[in-house]
Amino acid sequence: MSGIGATHIDHIVISSNNAAVVAETFQRNLGLEIKRTMTRPGTGAQLAFAKLQEVVLEFAGPPQPDPSAEVKARLWGLVLTVTDIAAAVERLRTLGYDVGEPKPAVQPGALIATVKSGTCGVPFALIQYNAIPTATPGVSA
Amino acid sequence: MKALRIDHVGIVVKNIEEAAATYARNFGLQVDPARGGDLPALGIRNAFMPIGDSALEFIQPLTDQGPVAQFAKERGEGQYLLSIEVDDVAAAVEHLRSLGYRVGDPANGVAFVSPRSSHGVNLQLIQRKNG
Repeated sequence: MSGIGATHIDHIVISSNNAAVVAETFQRNLGLEIKRTMTRPGTGAQLAFAKLQEVVLEFAGPPQPDPSAEVKARLWGLVLTVTDIAAAVERLRTLGYDVGEPKPAVQPGALIATVKSGTCGVPFALIQYNAIPTATPGVSA
Repeated sequence: MKALRIDHVGIVVKNIEEAAATYARNFGLQVDPARGGDLPALGIRNAFMPIGDSALEFIQPLTDQGPVAQFAKERGEGQYLLSIEVDDVAAAVEHLRSLGYRVGDPANGVAFVSPRSSHGVNLQLIQRKNG
């Protein structure tokens, strides 16, 4: 198999200076349902998520938006789902690309790795779900 | 109106053949030979690489005029456009116009939305099936 076996677009990041306002605009104008909002641990970034079938739209913004500022947004990054993130990272590094070490994602049980080159200018990441065993309620080890 | 799915993500590139080769080699995607080509009226060349239920569209400006060329001039390569499939593009256009936004007339099931309705994000609405 060529490439890393990316199966689908997991999410598309829309970056702005006010995530809540942009998410609300997309909800009103396009009928999207904002399924979840959260603060990113560590950075305090404000996040809102909508889902259209298999693809998540992630609206990202700073911890404390300036309410008086004109709201500006842009398409930012892409995250592709892979079935074996370790193999994908290894392959891309073998090709000479700069790829970060896989680390736990916001999504429980998932690992994510940033791809820092070889993407034609698109901030890029790979994600593998069910990569980290998670506790199952009612099941003891 | 109802948004159904992400149809494709448009990515402006300097050289479409090189971009397609890079994404094929790095990510295992393949160009759809049934879609894309030169679009002189828009001043672009495009190619589609399906992934899952969506696709990546690579867009190369062929002239130094127009929005794609302007994007390339100002920002180089990068994500340019989000195409969203809707159930009824005419109704979607009507809905957005009723909210006061500028939207182009639908042509061949496609309508372009003024970025002002999405804080600067280029949006395309597309209807794949007859309503």
